[in-house]
Amino acid sequence: MAVPVASKCLGSLSLLSRRLSAPEFTTRCCYHKKVVDHYENPRNVGTLDKNSRNVGTGLVGAPACGDVMKLQIQVDDQGKIVDARFKTFGCGSAIASSSLATEWVKGKSVDEALTIRNTDIAKELCLPPVKLHCSMLAEDAIKAALADYRLKQQDGQQEAVSASS
Amino acid sequence: MLSAKPFRAACSSWAVLMWTNRLCISKVCMSTSFSIKDTWHCNRNVRSLLKARGLTCNTNQSSTLWNNCSGRSKVSCWSCKQPLDQTPAFFCVSCKVVQPPEEGTSYFKIMACDYTFTLDTQQLQKKYLQLQRLLHPDNFSQKSVTEQQYSESQSALVNKAYTTLLKPLSRGLYMLELEGMHIKEGTESAHSAFFMELMEINEALDEAQTPEEANKIGQDTKGKLAELTEQIDTALRKGELQNAQALLIQMKYFANIEEKVKEKLCHFM
Repeated sequence: MAVPVASKCLGSLSLLSRRLSAPEFTTRCCYHKKVVDHYENPRNVGTLDKNSRNVGTGLVGAPACGDVMKLQIQVDDQGKIVDARFKTFGCGSAIASSSLATEWVKGKSVDEALTIRNTDIAKELCLPPVKLHCSMLAEDAIKAALADYRLKQQDGQQEAVSASS
Repeated sequence: MLSAKPFRAACSSWAVLMWTNRLCISKVCMSTSFSIKDTWHCNRNVRSLLKARGLTCNTNQSSTLWNNCSGRSKVSCWSCKQPLDQTPAFFCVSCKVVQPPEEGTSYFKIMACDYTFTLDTQQLQKKYLQLQRLLHPDNFSQKSVTEQQYSESQSALVNKAYTTLLKPLSRGLYMLELEGMHIKEGTESAHSAFFMELMEINEALDEAQTPEEANKIGQDTKGKLAELTEQIDTALRKGELQNAQALLIQMKYFANIEEKVKEKLCHFM
């Protein structure tokens, strides 16, 4: 009896529309309003001159989700971060994390900026557990930018030393 | 008192059988010219050999594929109790009743595909439709609750297997998972030249003013993905799993760009 019913049901591909997905836990796809705010009104999107001695560039990627993030800082002669820019290609949480990161590093010294933790970013944006890696990406981008800046300063100092000798 | 002779005779026949099989296995392994890392092809040949002889695989492999190819304990039909001889067994051979999915069965087995990275997606789709014609819950609306539940599970699993095997990226990542390799959550900053290239492509796409510009980026990305597909196939054939993983990660980034190209082109419409 099932066979005639089956053959009626299975006329075409379109009838296989009642597709079932494997029983998996699916989170509610809902961004917090702070994330939406940063996504729709991102702060400090843009680029600084990566060749400048006072600019540190951090370029990081997240292999699990394929997000890429660039964060740049401009530091004055007193070691204070006076400007920051970012460009992120990824999900809303990644964009929001990097946007917030650029807001936070401005006005901090290079040592103070090192203390910014992904947990602080995640807490501020109310990121769900599944998006915590986005805040980690932002923290690593800050660190990479600071490391690049330090390297440039060290190279500069070495040049000055060899020039004077 | 029982005579020890038959026991000794049985033992010695068993020893001969084991010895013969060990020779055959080592012969198979040598003929596939595998290195210590090349478990993949060896798995396949040894697996079929052992299955043919009904032997279990003694191995430390965490791969579920090993578990499935071994002479596993016999599973019986939940309804008529007859043994289910096939893997996977969607229906009982005796009473034709739908069976629950067996845990740990590889998607390759479910879709009756060879365990290779290169796959005929048309054949895959044919198999998918064939299976859903049999397993879809719409066929079981007049059946018992148990059968309806089993058909739902089977149908969902076939969907999952199909969608995973359809795309090279998910297929490759799944193959690595079967070999016990997972991409860790984390960040990487080592390959800055690669990331700079990615940023440039993403920025160019973002700034594209016309569909033609977006299409050009899309074509270049497709080319890059095709190149990576070949490289991943080579790496997996050689059993170079770390290399395959690194290439699949690159593929992930380019696959994201491909998605963005589609979104951009929709935006132009």
